[in-house]
Amino acid sequence: MKGFRALLVAELRVFSRDRMGMFFTLLFPLVYVLIFGFLMGDIGDVDQAHFGVFFETDAEEVLLRQTIDDTGSMHLLFFDSQANLLTAITDRRIDFGLQWDGVALQFYYDANRIQENFAFEQAARAITTEFNLRRQGVSRSLPVEEVSVGTIQSVGWYNLVLPGILAFTILSAGLFAVSGHLTSMKERNILDRLIVTPMRPMALLSAIVMIRMAIVFFSTLVTLAVGMVVFGLHYDVNWLRYVIFVILATLGTMGMGTVIALLVRRPSSASSLANVLAMVMMFFAGIYFPIEFMPSFLRAVSRGLPLTHMANAMRYVTGVVEMSEGEFWSITFAMLGIAIVLFPVLARYVVRPTRH
Amino acid sequence: MASATAKMAFTMKVSQLTKHYGQTKAVDGISFTVPHASVFTILGPNGAGKTTTMEMLEGIREPDSGEIEVFGERLTKITRSAKQRIGVLLQEGGFEPYLKVHEVLTMFASFFHRAIPVGDILAAVELTEKSGALVRTLSGGQKQRLAIGAALINDPDLVFLDEPTTGLDPQARLNIWDIVSALQARDKTVILTTHYMEEAEALSDEVCIMDYGSIIAQGSPKSLAEQLGEETLIEFRGLDVSARAWENLQLFCKAARNDQMVITLETDHLTDTMEALFAWSRTHDFKLRDLTVRQPNLEDVFLSLTGRRLRG
Amino acid sequence: MKDILHIARAHITTALRERITLFWFVVFPVFLLTILSLIFGKVGNEGEISFEISLINQEDSASSGFAFSDVIAGAFHEMSTTVDGALEPLFSLHTLDDATDSDQFLESELTALRRGRRAAVLLIPAGLNQAVVANLLQPDASTALADPVRLQLFMSDSNAASTYASQIIQQVLTEIDRRILVEMGRFDDNQAIASETHWIGGEGEETSYVDFVLPGIILMGFFVNGLFGVPGTILFNRDRKVLRRYWVTPLSVARYLVGFGLGHLTLCAVQFVLLYSLGVFVFGAAIRFASPASIGLLILAATTFMAFGFLIASLAKTANGGMATANILNMPMMFLSGLFFPTSGLPVFMMVIVYLNPVSYLLEGLRHSVGVQNSTLMPALTILLVPIGWILLSSLVTSRRLKWDVER
Repeated sequence: MKGFRALLVAELRVFSRDRMGMFFTLLFPLVYVLIFGFLMGDIGDVDQAHFGVFFETDAEEVLLRQTIDDTGSMHLLFFDSQANLLTAITDRRIDFGLQWDGVALQFYYDANRIQENFAFEQAARAITTEFNLRRQGVSRSLPVEEVSVGTIQSVGWYNLVLPGILAFTILSAGLFAVSGHLTSMKERNILDRLIVTPMRPMALLSAIVMIRMAIVFFSTLVTLAVGMVVFGLHYDVNWLRYVIFVILATLGTMGMGTVIALLVRRPSSASSLANVLAMVMMFFAGIYFPIEFMPSFLRAVSRGLPLTHMANAMRYVTGVVEMSEGEFWSITFAMLGIAIVLFPVLARYVVRPTRH
Repeated sequence: MASATAKMAFTMKVSQLTKHYGQTKAVDGISFTVPHASVFTILGPNGAGKTTTMEMLEGIREPDSGEIEVFGERLTKITRSAKQRIGVLLQEGGFEPYLKVHEVLTMFASFFHRAIPVGDILAAVELTEKSGALVRTLSGGQKQRLAIGAALINDPDLVFLDEPTTGLDPQARLNIWDIVSALQARDKTVILTTHYMEEAEALSDEVCIMDYGSIIAQGSPKSLAEQLGEETLIEFRGLDVSARAWENLQLFCKAARNDQMVITLETDHLTDTMEALFAWSRTHDFKLRDLTVRQPNLEDVFLSLTGRRLRG
Repeated sequence: MKDILHIARAHITTALRERITLFWFVVFPVFLLTILSLIFGKVGNEGEISFEISLINQEDSASSGFAFSDVIAGAFHEMSTTVDGALEPLFSLHTLDDATDSDQFLESELTALRRGRRAAVLLIPAGLNQAVVANLLQPDASTALADPVRLQLFMSDSNAASTYASQIIQQVLTEIDRRILVEMGRFDDNQAIASETHWIGGEGEETSYVDFVLPGIILMGFFVNGLFGVPGTILFNRDRKVLRRYWVTPLSVARYLVGFGLGHLTLCAVQFVLLYSLGVFVFGAAIRFASPASIGLLILAATTFMAFGFLIASLAKTANGGMATANILNMPMMFLSGLFFPTSGLPVFMMVIVYLNPVSYLLEGLRHSVGVQNSTLMPALTILLVPIGWILLSSLVTSRRLKWDVER
């Protein structure tokens, strides 16, 4: 037991001295979360948009102005000529514009702002529809009520993205703990030297796992806190399930890291391969955009990826989505299963002499 | 040009070459001449200034003062044009791991105005079958042969071989010795450093021993050994020699030393010392094991001059 | 001259043979372009995205005497059958034929919605037809009723697909509404004001996603090549003493640098050709880089990023340290440049990075010169000056600080 504690302390020291490792495990997710949060925050947010209007004629001007005011809370700017309106678009002083000539509603958009135009077009549609109804003194016949069954008041898209990023953090940490840290120890023959001591390999492994797990845990908590404080995101965390899931997922991803370490011949290639796989998974796991946006064959790929399910589980334990008990526990036990199967393999890998 | 070189008495003459590092004088105004078509060996313990000297002569370190006369030109440092006719085998160096052997040699060939066909060099260093192999797949010995090939690709008139056989197996070492002989046969001049005494003795025409930044001896291996006079050395294994026995041992020889469990006696009077030794062994009940009688060699010269072993 | 060419050739050969290099500099940009174009290029196009939704019709149109509910249901059924030529319909519809179990069905569908298995659930309640009639006779009459009957569109705002699908469904319902009003004579289509869409800049239509993203991906390729390739090669070759073997020959550092630069720019050209061909022949990109401005900017970009790589190499103490620095800088510089997302709404401390980042300027310039950006956020002169400034800074630092051999 004394030896084990010494291993724990040693492993912690190694980690804290490895500044690069520390940066990547702790700071990197934070930097990532911050940058993404700010970048994606306002995309397509029509309420913040600048809308330019040019009334060529004053026919029905009042009605149109009222309609515009009632259909959205964009910042309105008025122009006195078409030329000025169009220049304002190209200069990005306004996001989109409207010219009313008494015959048709001419909407102008910047052809190149393709990531944002869909929201502006939607606003334009709403204005057109409402204007037409009011002109003819008609109101809608279909009464429609939109009801959200979401569990929390989501504060925008980023609310859903963050738990996915947490899942990715766990995945990277687990993968690199084995396919980076352990494989580099193997390559530098540190493992060989440790094996000849009376310390059992499982003890070394456990020490590494425990330290990494603690760090991952801490990292996810800090990330959550940053999300809530800086971006005002809402979460309703089920702490028991959160802890269970993070622990078992970390173990499971370490198991996955073992598979990678076994596949490559040179230990140093393991971290490159892990990097590649993590990056690819990140795109297909439905973290940044819904799976529904992918072509059907890619959707199938997505459903087969561990990260997809991990992201879902993280969204569940942070209270963002609902999930059936069955699904949550199957994912969690699948992670555990991977770990149980692969840890003995990992222990043998640690012991196996390095082939040169 | 070739005939002009042949008529030169020396290929390189070094005068008052100096290099300081702060207060330390790494190389303290050394001078020597390297005869044409000779194998000139520089020996010295670590820190003697030998490496720095080699680096200055190879053109990768600038001397603080002094002159180098090479190929008839007097220079303060080795210039790029001088390098056209020089070949260097560095003590340590790498090659691009993802290049093939012949690609490496072709690339090095392009650095010079004049180069030997790559195929010929490959044959000379026995790497022809490995011509298409990636550098990263080569063994240590093969990499060394490649390095020698790169050093000879420009058919240099002066070749620097910095510890060419360190870490190689005996067969590989002999191969390199053959290459050195072949170079000599073609009128090339070789400047060599080594940690192996037998290599220095076998290959060198001229040896220069450095220590503390200066040259402390220079000459052919034979003449250097002769400097130790009529001396003969007697060696035997020296475990468990009592202090009193050791004292008595000193009485009948010129000098005695015990290092690495080998006792060495120096004497100018072999027969007398031998008789006294046998008596001593009977008196102290000491069994003489691995008893050897030999003439001093370069290692001994080195030891007596510097107090340290060649392989340090 | 041939020494320079051989150094260039060695650099190119090595890069193409080393699997990891090949991956990051070639495969990864290609992968990224493919994925982004496949996904974002298709959004909004019919037949390429699909949502699972449920439709529960509790209205009995026979007994109510009106067929509005049928119109609604019919519209959604139609949208869930495959249109000619499309791969899959917009909606994958879940309905129940047997009306008696419909409350139970509603509950199970709502659960499925909460669990992310459905993007939306549309409930046509009993009494809807009456409510519609009431509204037709008198505006908003249905809401005055004691128990207002409404079409209920259940969605989950915890689910991005649901948000998107519900917006589409709202649009469909608006259109159905209009049809009903026209049909019932309440709305005169001939009197309707049409809206017209005009695209400023571009080719008179909205720029395609691949046209928008291709310049950025090409620059990204150059960027990772410079950021990782330069320190990676120079520092590792120095530390492995590969460079030392060169310095004992007549090859000078300057000639080595020229050869290296030539090789590097050739690799960038390879990246460009690959990505451009992929963009044009597979994803139908319409932009062309044939103008002098575009070519000039591409060369400037490749050179700037190479210089940046040298800057990192000069300031790094060890090869691993240099690569770590490159890794740290990679993500912020790529994202805080407008390459993937617009940088307009960022807080001040991030905008500082955007304005210092050479990628931002080169990207703006390139997008403008190929015609996918109307105006530039940065003044035109800075597009050239900032990258050149980085090149000069890097040259200065490199000439002073880059060690070409390890300590001997």
